[in-house]
Amino acid sequence: MMRYYHPYLDSRCRSVWAVLVLLTLASHFGFAQSLTFEADVRPILKIACFHCHGEDGETKGGLDVRLVRLMLEGGDSGSALVRRDVASSLLWQQIEADEMPKGDKKLSPEEKEIIRLWIEAGAPTARPEPENVEDARFTLEELSHWAFQPVQETHIPIVPGVPSDTPIDAFIARRLVEKGLDFSPEADRATLIRRVTFDLIGLPPSPDEVEAFVNDPRADAYPRLVDRLLASPQFGVRWGRHWLDVAGYAESDGGVDRDPKRAHAWRYRDYVIRSFNDNKPIDRFVLEQLAGDELIQSPLDPYNQRQLELLTATGFLRMAPDPTQSSNTLADRNMAAASAIQVVSSSMLGLSVGCAQCHDHKYDPIGIDDYYRFRAVFDPVFPLKQWQQPSSRLVDMTPPEIQAEADRIEAIAKEMEADLNKRRQALGGKIQELKLADVPEALRDETRQAVLTASNERTERQRELLDRYPMVKPVNFIIGLLVEYDMPAYREFEKEQQKIAAVRATKPALTKVMSTQERPGIVPVSQVFFRGNPTSPKEEVLPGELKVLTRLGREVAIPDNEVDLPTTGRRLAYARQLTDGQHPLLARVFVNRLWLHHFGQGLVATPNDFGRSGDTPSHPGLLDWLATDLVRHGWDQKRLHRMMMLSRTYRQNSKRTAALDAVDPDNRLLGRANLRRLEAESIRDAILAVTDQLNDQLEGPSTPVTQNGEGKVVIGVQKIRDGIPVGADENHPDAFRRSAYIEVNRSLPLNMLSTFDLPVMTPNCDLRRPTTVATQALWFLNDSLMVGRGAALAKRLKAGFESEEQQIDALFVSLFARPPSPEERESCLAFIREQRRLQAQHTANPESGSNALATLCQTLLASNRFLYVD
Amino acid sequence: MLRSSAFGLGSVAASLLLKKDGLLAADKGTNPIKPELEEKTYDLLPKAPPYPQQAKAMISMFMLGGPSQIDLFDPKPELIKRNGQTFTGNLKFDNAAQASREIMGPAWKFNRHGQCGMELSELVPHLGQIADEITLIRSMHSAANNHLPANFALNTGQPVRGRPVLGSWLLKALGSETQDLPAYVALTDPRGLPLIAKENWNNGKLPSIFQGTMVRPSEPRIFNLDAPPHLRGAAQNSQLEFLNRFNQAHLDEHPGENDLAARLSSYGLAARMQLAAKEAFDLSKESEATKRMYGIDQKVTRSYGTRCLIARRLVERGVRFVQIFCNGQSWDHHGSILKALPDRCREIDQPAAALVRDLKQRGLLDSTIVHWGGEMGRLPVIQFREGLTKRDKVGRDHNTYGFSMWVAGGGFKSGHVHGATDEFSHYAVDGIVHHYDWLATVLNRFGLNHRELSFRVGPRELRLVENDEARVVKELLA
Repeated sequence: MMRYYHPYLDSRCRSVWAVLVLLTLASHFGFAQSLTFEADVRPILKIACFHCHGEDGETKGGLDVRLVRLMLEGGDSGSALVRRDVASSLLWQQIEADEMPKGDKKLSPEEKEIIRLWIEAGAPTARPEPENVEDARFTLEELSHWAFQPVQETHIPIVPGVPSDTPIDAFIARRLVEKGLDFSPEADRATLIRRVTFDLIGLPPSPDEVEAFVNDPRADAYPRLVDRLLASPQFGVRWGRHWLDVAGYAESDGGVDRDPKRAHAWRYRDYVIRSFNDNKPIDRFVLEQLAGDELIQSPLDPYNQRQLELLTATGFLRMAPDPTQSSNTLADRNMAAASAIQVVSSSMLGLSVGCAQCHDHKYDPIGIDDYYRFRAVFDPVFPLKQWQQPSSRLVDMTPPEIQAEADRIEAIAKEMEADLNKRRQALGGKIQELKLADVPEALRDETRQAVLTASNERTERQRELLDRYPMVKPVNFIIGLLVEYDMPAYREFEKEQQKIAAVRATKPALTKVMSTQERPGIVPVSQVFFRGNPTSPKEEVLPGELKVLTRLGREVAIPDNEVDLPTTGRRLAYARQLTDGQHPLLARVFVNRLWLHHFGQGLVATPNDFGRSGDTPSHPGLLDWLATDLVRHGWDQKRLHRMMMLSRTYRQNSKRTAALDAVDPDNRLLGRANLRRLEAESIRDAILAVTDQLNDQLEGPSTPVTQNGEGKVVIGVQKIRDGIPVGADENHPDAFRRSAYIEVNRSLPLNMLSTFDLPVMTPNCDLRRPTTVATQALWFLNDSLMVGRGAALAKRLKAGFESEEQQIDALFVSLFARPPSPEERESCLAFIREQRRLQAQHTANPESGSNALATLCQTLLASNRFLYVD
Repeated sequence: MLRSSAFGLGSVAASLLLKKDGLLAADKGTNPIKPELEEKTYDLLPKAPPYPQQAKAMISMFMLGGPSQIDLFDPKPELIKRNGQTFTGNLKFDNAAQASREIMGPAWKFNRHGQCGMELSELVPHLGQIADEITLIRSMHSAANNHLPANFALNTGQPVRGRPVLGSWLLKALGSETQDLPAYVALTDPRGLPLIAKENWNNGKLPSIFQGTMVRPSEPRIFNLDAPPHLRGAAQNSQLEFLNRFNQAHLDEHPGENDLAARLSSYGLAARMQLAAKEAFDLSKESEATKRMYGIDQKVTRSYGTRCLIARRLVERGVRFVQIFCNGQSWDHHGSILKALPDRCREIDQPAAALVRDLKQRGLLDSTIVHWGGEMGRLPVIQFREGLTKRDKVGRDHNTYGFSMWVAGGGFKSGHVHGATDEFSHYAVDGIVHHYDWLATVLNRFGLNHRELSFRVGPRELRLVENDEARVVKELLA
């Protein structure tokens, strides 16, 4: 059973241990001479002692250990601390003897040693302690964490001896040189075009594109290539999908028992993809998703495309799991709201703000009250007491003439249905009468009376009769099981039912939008939930920015209820300050994600956690320079892509060298490119692309998924025979659309994609983590989908090229962006000959040998050379 | 070397091997660093441990959520006596908002079982019948509160995310006795994945060939086990040979890329799995008596019984490590424990006991560690849910300071009870077994030393047991 008040947020907060170990080591190796309370001792006491001696008004024995001053003053047993006198310090006596902390978990020898050395050194503090102990809730050490500081104006370093093509290269070169390393040579053109094309549009380059680029003599051939791809509409499909990961895009609600579909979520997907293709400035993109509805000043107009766009954008706040359609308790609502907050903070702030839902954040200076202040910004659209279920939140933007047409068709369908039901009832009555004929005449009327009586009103005698004559059933029961009573009639009715469905299918699509809108007059009172429990609301809070982000003079005013707006104005005000260019996190977080997807690893390796338990930036100067540059150039995203991709750093080859591996095995310093496996979507899309089957249509409802007979989730719809699901009809007209347009169902992830590590959105995905397992190999070898693609590719090659040599050459260029070597060509020819011989044994059909080229195609599609980009 | 394990392709593999060795030999003189890169290939060939080995395989029935030791394994007369009274000692609540101090004694009777006279609850009668085969540990301790940290602590040695699990370490150290089945199998529940799903069989920073393979909870257990008709037999062998050569050439251009090497070997495994896995998951050859013993003939025990029987068949065939999971965190009885706990026990008690008995009668128990336990236990007091005060809705909160689990076979004592908690079953007080002690002890049974088993990641030595105080709990060993 899930603990009901904090789903997975609390458990995401990492244990205190890791930090403790780090601190311990740091203290031992570096700073034994300069131990301070704030940096070294307090973190130990915070975890082990504050709970009883300071926090939440608890001061056992009258002792508060949150400040040195208070320990010197001491409690009921006198002073707890005597400077430079370890033996006389009660604090030391207690922890040394393991009297304290109470309970099983005692301080480790390392922790004790830190405290001992610190007392001996005179129990120094880093600075005078505050008057009010509450002002010491977070230390300067915590507050000074790099990510909370304003983005620094950094200068491009000058690195003598290493030619740097772009500012990025200068930053990278500086660290490489420090370690005695250098850039790797530039990758060859075939490698480059394959890398760049997959990177920007998630597809392989076509043979023509390869040929054109490899032979392009112009000096600016490479920038031209990048520009061409940045302008491709497929760019948005690829890069939009990256954002959909962090937004936690899903087309089902994510309930525990039931997982209802979100039939209209796809509009948000289209919004995201269009925004990337249009190079919508990032600040605008963020503003629309957080507060698009608040930007709409006029009444909703079904013909207003801009309104439609803004409403769709706010679908962002509705992407997190929300079980309230099927299970709508306070705890469920709270979970839905908390998940949405987690998505906002991890995607846009790169912070695990959600960890402060139950208690002060264990690592970051984010108090529980801070969490609820931040959440209050969003409370008007997540009012726990005036909750709307997902279905009632849909906004209908259907134009009236479309609605009228839909209504007209629905009326026809209803009429047909009524007629059908009448005949069905009649047949049911007839069958019932037939069955009654089997009852002895003496009891027949009485039994008829029994079956016509509502089941809860039957007398003992009537129940007994129906028990005795079980074939006598109510009409509705008979209709429900008509397939058993009268199969031909059932099938006839089914056909009519299908006709009605076909009529309904001619209805024009309605424009319903999954959106976030405030309802007039709903201004919930926001409160801190004690230990995260919505049934224990405590002090009231007003909406506000996280305190740690306002301490350096950033003024952030968020209204409680803006009088000039029909809405509260909270999200609008929050989003405006978030995107004003002064926020320390937003630009850094976005720049880092771009970096991650171009280079295989972020400058901060934990893209959703810039806090103290996250990674430290490998190149802090570069991160800030890029963030500054982004803001300075109007949050222009494509400009940033271009800058990264034109860098020498990006164009390096991916070869590991002994020298690089010895110093930097994880390639944090970027002395080479990273070899990367294609993501699930790219594998599927690339296979469809090289077989010439890819349907690159943009926009529109998703291609549905369902389970086939063996339980595999495939593209298609469920076939129903005689009322029972009997597997998938996989011949869907949209079966070959790009993967971004395949239904993202939390409980039914497409088998092909989940085999290759499609993320589970709970609530969103910070980073794809590729695996290498035998099931992937089995998919390539045996899955009918894969066998079919091999055949399709072979067919294409045979249609286009005469000789087997030419076919192999074309195959290599399609898959690997380069022709085969003579040895490779020879080896492929030999393989075809061998396969032809072996496969012929399976059947008397002389044509069976024609599978041989298909098998070669399938095998090369399965190869690492295809699956990885270097 | 990896490639020799990859396919069993006879002459082709041998020639590749020779070629590779030749390269290495030639390189040694001219480029001293290349061999080091080459060493970074990993395989699953069986390896002898450095110390005497008792256990060759392990089956872990992992009970995510935290079964109540108070109601199952750890009888406390004091709790019965003080049932309903106020608990005055120090309580480690996880959920302070719902905490109460009202003592709740076990609702079920404890009886003595076997010649050893082990006291067990009436909820686990089948376990009682094998009491003389198991060691019951009543003094587990991790102090890592909440499910994820506690789970990580028990399985990865530290209460933090992302570290390699025990099974991955065993593969790294010992390889696998079979090259035809996944060396490390996770068997999941048809009702759903365990909490945090594949992180339960995560290789962390160990090479990816050491991660666990999840097997589907229903047929087909592994998709795509049949070769397409036109490729059956020799044709697919030839296909694999060709693919292997092609991938090897690619790997040669990218020395040191572990992932490429892992994928190479994954094809070899896939090919052999096609034959071996179908056979291993096919229970039709098992006798009716065996199926009955596991409860496969009964609806309530069928699902877990099937997984237990599959686990035995996998171990029999040389699989190193098998985890059997329940869905979600289904032992997490914060509420309605009076109903939910017996329900859970009914599904699992008989199959779990059958597994031990079956391994024993086949002579496999001595070399197989069978483990049954969760990441935590529960508190001796009532947890209230939403203000309800009647006992039928109440449950118990987490307890990571004192909980129980049992282990059988693989060189552990039999008919033995180890350690004790305080009179309230809250804190382990006697013979405390920390999570890291447990892991060190398991490694010991496999002939491994927890201080020595390590893996270099860049500048760091990664170990399963990082805690210097960890000890092999000799008192548990036969």
